[in-house]
Amino acid sequence: MEKHDERYLLKTKGLTKVFGPLVANSEIDLVVKPGSIHAILGENGAGKSTLMKMLYGVYAPDGGSIMMDGEEVELHPPTKARAKGIGMVFQDFRVVPALTILDNIALSVEKGFTFNRKKLKQRIIEISSKYGLAVNPDAYVWELDLGQRQRLEIVKVLLAENTRIIIFDEPTSVLVPQEVEAFLNMLRMLRADGYGILLITHKINEVLACADQVSVLRSGVLTYTASKEDGLTADQLIGAMMGDKELKTVEKQSGIQTSSELALVIKDGMIKGDYGEVIIQDLNLQVRKGQIVGVAGISGSGQKELAEVLFGLRGLLKGSIEVAGKPLKPDVRAFLEAGVSFVSEDPIKESVIPGFSILQHMVLDGMELKKKGLGIDWKALAQELEQSEQAQALALAASSRRADTLSGGNVQRMVLTRALIRKPEVLIISYPSRGLDIGTTRTIQQHLLELAKQGTAIVLFSEDLDELFKLSDQLVVLAGKRLTSPYETASTNAAQIGQLMLKGESA
Amino acid sequence: MSQPTSIAFESKSTFLQRHSSWMIQTAAIIAPFILFGIFLTFYEVNPIELYSSMVATTFGDLYGFGEVLLKATPFILTGLAAALPAKAGLVNVGGEGQLAIGALFATWFAIFYLDQMPALIGIPIMLLAGALGGAAWASVVAVLKVKGKLNETITSVLLNYVAVFIVGFFVHGMLKDPNSFNWPFSPEISYSLRLPVINGTRLHIGFVIAIVLAVAVWFILSKTRLGYRIRVLGSNRLAAERAGMNINRMYFWVLLAAGAIAGIAGMIEIAGIEGRLRATVGTNFGYLGFLAAMMAWNNPLRLMATAFLLGMISVAGNKLEIFSGLPSSSVNILMALVLFFILGSGKLVKR
Repeated sequence: MEKHDERYLLKTKGLTKVFGPLVANSEIDLVVKPGSIHAILGENGAGKSTLMKMLYGVYAPDGGSIMMDGEEVELHPPTKARAKGIGMVFQDFRVVPALTILDNIALSVEKGFTFNRKKLKQRIIEISSKYGLAVNPDAYVWELDLGQRQRLEIVKVLLAENTRIIIFDEPTSVLVPQEVEAFLNMLRMLRADGYGILLITHKINEVLACADQVSVLRSGVLTYTASKEDGLTADQLIGAMMGDKELKTVEKQSGIQTSSELALVIKDGMIKGDYGEVIIQDLNLQVRKGQIVGVAGISGSGQKELAEVLFGLRGLLKGSIEVAGKPLKPDVRAFLEAGVSFVSEDPIKESVIPGFSILQHMVLDGMELKKKGLGIDWKALAQELEQSEQAQALALAASSRRADTLSGGNVQRMVLTRALIRKPEVLIISYPSRGLDIGTTRTIQQHLLELAKQGTAIVLFSEDLDELFKLSDQLVVLAGKRLTSPYETASTNAAQIGQLMLKGESA
Repeated sequence: MSQPTSIAFESKSTFLQRHSSWMIQTAAIIAPFILFGIFLTFYEVNPIELYSSMVATTFGDLYGFGEVLLKATPFILTGLAAALPAKAGLVNVGGEGQLAIGALFATWFAIFYLDQMPALIGIPIMLLAGALGGAAWASVVAVLKVKGKLNETITSVLLNYVAVFIVGFFVHGMLKDPNSFNWPFSPEISYSLRLPVINGTRLHIGFVIAIVLAVAVWFILSKTRLGYRIRVLGSNRLAAERAGMNINRMYFWVLLAAGAIAGIAGMIEIAGIEGRLRATVGTNFGYLGFLAAMMAWNNPLRLMATAFLLGMISVAGNKLEIFSGLPSSSVNILMALVLFFILGSGKLVKR
């Protein structure tokens, strides 16, 4: 492939990074050329971020080498990487909201004891007009929306001396469609000026629109490399990302009575995020009793926010939500009373109470609280818990153990046991098998299916297409700030859902 | 398969690991005494002598023991006013101001409404008035917290100054004793409203009230459903939210309860010791109670012990003045050292 161009800015050979038992990156060979855009594609957890963090010096590699200017270099820590001309635009911006853009840039660019504001301002204006990065140097960062903050980050990187390589981590995830177009144009300008650009993304159409080279990571291994001259197609890239995952044709009870009662309905909803940005619009969702609706989507597409709305933790900006035909206000208590249960996507942060035992966690949302005088009859509860089939089936740890000393998998067992014991009318469950071994995963999936059989409506968020296909009656996809209409699991396939995840319904 | 395999696997730990937090805490209480002893030797005071005389006066006779308990009483109450909110995840440094306003309310009631009342009716009403005053003052913090999303640590500290000046305003004006030759204090409250005293000491039943309240707060926190919910809230707000608790309402009422307890401390100061309201009523009691609560890791039962220790130190201050000519306030150095060590050890003890 490299027959015609031996020039490079950076070359890696056999780059490897290991976290405990997990091999995050294995033997990665990568070439970044001047004046070219190199896209790194991959599903979540494929190892993209780890790779980029090694190139930016955040992690020291455990194996392999990095070459720049014909010699082997060490990039860890990031100051070394920056000195070598590598800049990175992070997903979560590293800016100080209380300062102006000018001061933020000065923080990273100016070295001496004093700095010349006028000169720096001049340079900011020059750079930003050159690449169409509209920023006002005197604006405070807290006033800016995410797109503007990103532009600030880019200006910062460009103003740093000798930047040659710029790494963008999922840059378009914070941008609205019009901004994306402008962003891609800017990338092309940077390319024309000889920068080497690494673009981490999982949006295929952006890759097709601008990338010169594409590398696809899967489970930490570089599985596919191609350049524009070889001809890139969407199907090829999707195939490379997904791998040849074999989807078991699950003999799950087919044909849920589509006539059964509606358990959960959202009409014309709109969800806003913590910064007031639109997360999901025109949201419509129906879940019937006994039905499992799987929500697919690349992570960060609004799963967290949607799940929170379904449990009353977050309000809908527009539209309405009904549980069992009753409209509900955003109030967790009302949702709990209506029979909704919730397994959060981050139980360690949101569910585990430091210093409390497993048993003490159970009565919060799950087991019925047994009164004893003014207190709680913990003894009876402990007995009940130990005898419950759910706790036994999930191999819950001893009920007296402190939950904050449990491993992630055991915490997952705890919150799942809690949700299952309650036999809820509606179950909102995020990533049920995260951190669990295959055996327990199967058990949980079996329990979810049985729960649905008994009439529970389940909304299942998952990153794992296998799991979604195995359990769901219908699939909906979060993409492009929208939730697609439902697809019957029986009449769709992974490729179609994958397309939807990456492109949304309109594409 | 009746018994899942992974149940019951308590991790074994060495003696040192199991007891290290206990040992660190003990060391944190002993170390400041050693440091303060070094300070004392510079002033040619024998620290061992001082400490042993401290122990001797405390446990030597009934009067000395009573004095220490007397000093400890307000510390227990203002300590509870810090410990209870701490269990709900709040930092109430406002015990000082809540005590002052409680004292103001109690005095007000005592002078204007309860003057002719028999003790059996008058004292309870005066107590309620004190609680009401403290709660009212805490409600300012609570409303700012719940409605205004203002940090309760900051607002409660700042309002302390406001409270002290409010008391000053009243003792210079509407509450001033007409026979005081223009001194800024209130008239004396009726003798029937004074708290009964144990023979041979100055110790009054306020001490019993403090103990009862401490045990009650401990019982509520550790044994009741309400306390369970408060502890959930204090340990993980997100989990409390996900369990459908009304977080703001709980914050509000916990702060009010804390204020009421501090207000009772103010009432006890008036009815038990001072007999009349001065602008300086209970100065530093709020902060010392906060210190006692921190030393006790917000455990109401341990709080009784730490308040007792602070009581001993306070009494020792008087002794120090008599024996060595050092000002009694030099024990503040000791208290500050205690605080530093407690704060410092907090990081080490955390699991």
